[in-house]
Amino acid sequence: MANEHKWGMVIDIDRCTGCQACVAACQAENNIPINEEKDFLSRRAKQWIRIDRVWEGKFPNVKARFIPVLCQHCENAPCEPVCPVYATYHNNQGLNVQVYNRCVGTRYCANNCPYQVRFFNFFDPEWPGTLWNQLNPDVTIRSRGIMEKCTFCVQRIRRGERTVEGQRGERLNDQTLKEGNYMPACVNACPTDTLLFGDLNDTASQVSRRSGDRRHYKLLDRLGTDPNVVYLKKVDPYAEEEEAHA
Amino acid sequence: MHEGKVLAYKRINRDLLSGLFENQLRYWAIVMFLGLVVLVAVVAAGFMVNRGVGVTGLNRPVFWGFFITNFVFWIGISHAGVMLSAILRLSKAEWRRPATRAAEVLTIFSLMTAVLMPFIHTGRPWRLMYWVFPYDFQRGIWPDIRSPLVWDPSAVNTYLISSILFVFIALIPDLAVIRDRSSGIRRIAYSVLSLGWRGTPRQWKLQAIAGILLSALILPVFVSVHSIVSWDFGMAVSVSSWHSTIFAPYFVIGAVHSGVSGVVTVMILMRWLFRWEEYVRKEHIDALARLLIVIAIAWFYFFAMEFIFGIYGQEGDELATRTLQIFGEPWGWWFLTFIITAFFFPVPLWLFRNVRRSFLLMTITTISVNIGMWLERFLIIVPGLARKQIFTQSWHTYAPSPIEIAIVVGTFALVLMLFLLFAKVFPLIPIFDIKEGQVLKDEIKIGRRKVPAVIREE
Amino acid sequence: MKISRRNFLMLAGFSTLGAVACNFFDEREFIAQSPVQLPEDLVTGRDNWYATLCRQCPETEGLIVRVIEGRAKKIQGSPPYPTNLGGHSVRCEAGLQALYHPERINGPLIREGPRGSGVYRSIGWDEALNVLVGQTRNRPDPGGVLMVTEPLRGSLAHLVDSFTAAYGSRHAAFQPMEETPYARVVRDTLGQQTMPTFDIKNSNFLLSFGADFLSTWNAPVQFSKGYGEFRQGIGRQRGTLAQVDPRFSLTAANADLWAPINPGMEGKLALSIAQVIVSEGLADPARVGEMTRGMDPAALDAYAPDRIFQELGLPPLHHTHPVDVIRNLARDFARGGSRSLAIGGASAGAHTNGLFNLSAIFALNFLVGSVGAEGGVKFNSPPPIPELAAVHAPAATGEWRDVIGDIDGGRIRVLLFRGVNPVHDLSPDLNLRGALNRDDLFIASFSSFLDETTEMADLILPDKAPLEEWGNDVPTPGPGFEIVGMQQPVVNPLPGMNPMSFADLLLQLSRELGLASSAPLDRFVFQDVLKDHAAKLHGLNRGSVQEPTFDAFWNRLLQQGGWWDPSATATASAPTPPSYAGILNRARDPAITGPTGGNTFNLVPFQSISLSDGRGANLPWLQSTTDPLTTVAWTTWLEMNTEVANLIGLGEGDFVLVEGANGASIKAQIYHHPAVPPGVVSIPVGQGHTADLRYSKNRGWNPLAILGVPMEDETQSLAWASTRVRIVKTGETTPIPKFEGIVPAFRPNEEEAIVKVTRG
Ligand SMILES: Nc1nc2c(c(=O)[nH]1)N[C@H]1C(S)=C(S)[C@@H](COP(=O)(O)OP(=O)(O)OC[C@H]3O[C@@H](n4cnc5c(=O)[nH]c(N)nc54)[C@H](O)[C@@H]3O)O[C@H]1N2
Ligand SMILES: Nc1nc2c(c(=O)[nH]1)N[C@H]1C(S)=C(S)[C@@H](COP(=O)(O)OP(=O)(O)OC[C@H]3O[C@@H](n4cnc5c(=O)[nH]c(N)nc54)[C@H](O)[C@@H]3O)O[C@H]1N2
Ligand code: SF4
Ligand code: SF4
Ligand code: SF4
Ligand code: SF4
Ligand code: SF4
Repeated sequence: MANEHKWGMVIDIDRCTGCQACVAACQAENNIPINEEKDFLSRRAKQWIRIDRVWEGKFPNVKARFIPVLCQHCENAPCEPVCPVYATYHNNQGLNVQVYNRCVGTRYCANNCPYQVRFFNFFDPEWPGTLWNQLNPDVTIRSRGIMEKCTFCVQRIRRGERTVEGQRGERLNDQTLKEGNYMPACVNACPTDTLLFGDLNDTASQVSRRSGDRRHYKLLDRLGTDPNVVYLKKVDPYAEEEEAHA
Repeated sequence: MHEGKVLAYKRINRDLLSGLFENQLRYWAIVMFLGLVVLVAVVAAGFMVNRGVGVTGLNRPVFWGFFITNFVFWIGISHAGVMLSAILRLSKAEWRRPATRAAEVLTIFSLMTAVLMPFIHTGRPWRLMYWVFPYDFQRGIWPDIRSPLVWDPSAVNTYLISSILFVFIALIPDLAVIRDRSSGIRRIAYSVLSLGWRGTPRQWKLQAIAGILLSALILPVFVSVHSIVSWDFGMAVSVSSWHSTIFAPYFVIGAVHSGVSGVVTVMILMRWLFRWEEYVRKEHIDALARLLIVIAIAWFYFFAMEFIFGIYGQEGDELATRTLQIFGEPWGWWFLTFIITAFFFPVPLWLFRNVRRSFLLMTITTISVNIGMWLERFLIIVPGLARKQIFTQSWHTYAPSPIEIAIVVGTFALVLMLFLLFAKVFPLIPIFDIKEGQVLKDEIKIGRRKVPAVIREE
Repeated sequence: MKISRRNFLMLAGFSTLGAVACNFFDEREFIAQSPVQLPEDLVTGRDNWYATLCRQCPETEGLIVRVIEGRAKKIQGSPPYPTNLGGHSVRCEAGLQALYHPERINGPLIREGPRGSGVYRSIGWDEALNVLVGQTRNRPDPGGVLMVTEPLRGSLAHLVDSFTAAYGSRHAAFQPMEETPYARVVRDTLGQQTMPTFDIKNSNFLLSFGADFLSTWNAPVQFSKGYGEFRQGIGRQRGTLAQVDPRFSLTAANADLWAPINPGMEGKLALSIAQVIVSEGLADPARVGEMTRGMDPAALDAYAPDRIFQELGLPPLHHTHPVDVIRNLARDFARGGSRSLAIGGASAGAHTNGLFNLSAIFALNFLVGSVGAEGGVKFNSPPPIPELAAVHAPAATGEWRDVIGDIDGGRIRVLLFRGVNPVHDLSPDLNLRGALNRDDLFIASFSSFLDETTEMADLILPDKAPLEEWGNDVPTPGPGFEIVGMQQPVVNPLPGMNPMSFADLLLQLSRELGLASSAPLDRFVFQDVLKDHAAKLHGLNRGSVQEPTFDAFWNRLLQQGGWWDPSATATASAPTPPSYAGILNRARDPAITGPTGGNTFNLVPFQSISLSDGRGANLPWLQSTTDPLTTVAWTTWLEMNTEVANLIGLGEGDFVLVEGANGASIKAQIYHHPAVPPGVVSIPVGQGHTADLRYSKNRGWNPLAILGVPMEDETQSLAWASTRVRIVKTGETTPIPKFEGIVPAFRPNEEEAIVKVTRG
């Protein structure tokens, strides 16, 4: 179709405080199992969106930098062609979709995702006792042996579509779904408005306007993965000074 | 070169078929022991399937570990069969005769074992149905042919089938020999298997042509299999130390290095186990050792190139991986062990004739090569993943769990056990081939010395 | 086949083997799954979103909660709610787990075994109420009844106060790490009855002393909303944030300039900044004149940067001498004028000289004229109706000492605990646990979990979870105008769950005690009280909800999650600026107590972004939330400078004993932190629970237990940042549970950096 959506995100690192609200929101929305202590010790904790903290410099001029990293929904995704069973594929709206039912658990895609945002279910998930009640019925529970990752909250996009359909009493074509009818959980939670989500093909959308900011860049651009997530650089008045003295 | 005694056909039959018709305590004790080790591995694998892949030491980012290392290793070992049989047969190298079958059988069993590894690796083997057997035709979803993981089974299965055919063609005359010496159900089975072999000239001719044809056809497959296995890594753009164009030849030659060493080890083991002193002789091992020197040096060249290419680019994450591989804790120590055992210990020793002709030293050096080559694969796979990209916060390490160790050890026992069980049913040294060698063998006089020679009708 | 014995044994063997083999597999595994059920095709049920309030921390934010088929599924910030504007914190989501926690107490319990043994028997509500009424009815000394709650606001505070007044009992509000000095500065220096907010959104230069306002201090979500705009709001220059903090807090990590100074010296640094501003003539002379009334302005010169920089312990920053660092801070701050904002709190106020520190810090706002100005300190008006005006200030630690004395002396006979856990949170030196061990003391707890305090109770009357409850709140600090948030039940308790709302219970108790003669105690349920108050709001006929009938008003009120009137901003006249004479009078150094000698460090405890003061330690989502800086979860870690730790031979994951001022010690696990000042260590509070709850029992340690009871000189509040500790190696070591890998994550190189940085 000529005017398909192209879902994308703009992340302004200068706003991000590292507060983890997005991480918790994603955990809740997407039925991500509780990260137990043993999951941290064996390094299998799952955070579809994670806040990478990178140190820089030495005390007292030391800095911590935060960068939210989630699936970049690469247009040219390295994770896709290596999957032998099409369990991960690209849809025509710019989403890298993960089909849990087809995944056979080779973990090749995880190796070939340069952003390290794919998470494997090493064990069956567990929600003790009545905690089951909190699970989101829109999102499948992934059993063990299955790869998972950020979906751009596709269930919310679909729900947005249906809501608009319901209001209008007609089937939607792809242009009628507009900003505000959908919002991923992480974007919703972020108290500093670091994360923006929307349709990159819609020139009026916030994301397409902000993605042209002079501070924009993409993660690991040299690999040619062509992510649909655009970052806006951190601003640091002391940055160059440090370099000059280094 | 051909120093062995000329033996009577009867004796050859008796010696080479001893495994089939005699029950040795030593043999069964070893088989039982290996069976036990395999059983432990089966229980370990069952436990893993039951609980989840979490019982391994795998993590994020090291999603591949012992199992894939072992997969590549056994694919590597499988390269010896064709290397020896096909090339040597085509080039009519006379000393090949006792080695070919053992090598081919090693190919088959190591391939089968290798194929097991991805099944175990995924933790839920039945789900592989989608992948290997895309049964769900109705919905029109087929495996993605862009994935190296689809090339893999294609190449490996082709290789496996052609290797089985290859062994079978060469077995037919021997099967007939066994058929003639057995009775009851056994006789029926061998009759079926020997396809009515009567040893007529036409049959001999067809058999010889089939053998040579298969040798020629299988060679490209042999090159392709490990090339394709190497592309599992080479195609991974995101793992900088894997994403290398040199991987295909590097892996193929590495496979030959470990495969031929494996064959030598196994031949010496057979010699000891079945008392085949007359058949597996010093000159055979000597010849293989010389071949190994050439292979090892070629392999070392690629190995060095891989590092030079890696370092030449001066890319941060690749350098980090290389640093980890060579100097990191604990990989540095394993790296040192690897280059010593795979190259610097065995190769200089092989330069000495006495070493090449010592069964003990050859056993030690060839086992050493395979220790090294196992580590080589491990050191490619794990540090590469542990330092995948510049996301330094995600850098991690990996240590295998007892489950993984048990399964990997089990695969060694499995190959050996299958090998020994094969020897119980089929002759591990091609009887007809040895006899053919005897026919062609004579002693000629050069000056005052009698020199063994081979007469050929060209 | 003939069944011979041999065959039979063989078959038996095979089937046994088969049975054993099959046992490895789970039946579910063989169910074929649809290979084409893409996530996009999922067909889903209908959902409803209800507006309510977040009760996961003392601040309340507006929420919308997604409910499907009677189960709450997702908590989200309410976009129109003025304080959080749709955002929320990491703690907020865990409200679902407080609701569906498998260990929630499902009905009233009465103690069977000895006190503290945790042996209880289930009883019905009638019996439970009888016990409670029996303990309170016809008491000769209603003053011997003490109710301890968290600091309440809104209608519930009104209800509790009315009950206390009618019955004649006592009430005290408890909050761990209470900030009485800050409350006092708000009253005395800023001249306000309600908490002010800070207009970070419009501020240009933000100078924060110890206040970790992006993490847990005061109203982090409200401030974060402003912070995002402050950094990159469209159509404004980028704001600059400087954080003065002895610890590398999350706010320090986000600051453009982090000034690590010796703990407790914040006030002196503020005076030094004031000295530069005054001596260099950077501020309005009239204002300077007003603030230096009754003194010689030269008296400030004792705090000139070059005189005190050594005392402050400020190292050179970005290759600038500390004296110039202070001068630059002062000049930048003054340049921002009324859009410069100085805030202080948390560790800056938690010293023996805390009140001085905070007074000196907030005085800076007067100097540049940012008090009450746009981009400065923004005042909140009192609530729109007087019934909502009650605000419980948490009692200071000094008052708790007296209360515990009363309990111990038998002057308090009935104790009612609601929403607090003082047995865990108060210093063990005050020995509340010991005081509770009196036979003639009756203790009731309204907690829905068996925490340390509840374990001491005779009677447990489990309250409803916040998502099942009615309520309202006047958020403190508010957004700068009048606001009342509404809390409504979004779900009913699960089947088998039989809690009772604390407020409803209090109304019932009032009826039983014969106190129900006037509003609000004469109402039957709490919802009626809320409706009464809503009716008054309705009568104002202004604000965000205006409807002709009350029913329509009530519905819209609940739908919208509250009422607010952005035009009703604070009307109070500008407060008189404080005089520097008074502040200088107060000036003093902090008294830091604790062991001296080798391996001693200043301990700066902090509230982590996940557990905050520890109230949610039993919720697995909070336990598993990684600390943003260390990425540690599930344990108590000790942040120590990497180089110092290497020097004294402490590896990451090593357990150490931390010996505190009172001779007590706790354990903690070392985290190698490149950004902690060498003389400081910090430990998060919130762990160290002993109550029998699976996610928190015997997990980590509580640093509040080793502080002793140092108190701020004037307000008697806990000076929790003024303890020195000795670190002793134990030899034990295990890996520390953290999200980051095993390699310290430093930025590898310029071109390839994943976090790209641009200058200015
Ligand atoms: N309103 C309404 N109700 C109906 C019907 C209707 O027409 N209208 N139809 C009825 C009929 S006919 C049916 S069959 C039922 C179907 O009702 P359900 O059985 O509830 O069917 P699904 O929702 O399709 O699947 C249930 C869950 O199984 C998961 N799943 C998929 N494959 C596997 C697997 O291999 N293993 C495991 N463990 N889980 C898997 C899916 O992700 C999903 O979460 O609904 C009935 N209810
Ligand atoms: N996309 C999608 N496709 C699905 C499924 C899915 O989950 N998603 N689920 C699959 C499953 S599990 C099932 S069972 C099938 C169901 O597929 P169908 O059997 O097609 O079920 P219905 O859509 O419920 O349609 C049944 C028809 O019977 C009519 N009907 C109702 N009552 C009666 C009666 O008393 N007599 C007669 N003669 N007609 C009656 C209804 O009006 C309706 O037209 O769909 C399958 N296909
Ligand atoms: S970020 Fe990783 S998982 Fe996501 S599309 Fe790109 S390669 Fe695939
Ligand atoms: S783990 Fe699953 S999604 Fe990833 S490559 Fe393997 S089958 Fe495909
Ligand atoms: S877009 Fe949705 S799935 Fe992706 S990180 Fe955000 S909340 Fe998680
Ligand atoms: S919620 Fe926003 S500010 Fe907080 S860590 Fe996530 S992106 Fe950063
Ligand atoms: S800061 Fe407190 S009130 Fe606000 S959303 Fe977080 S937990 Fe809820």
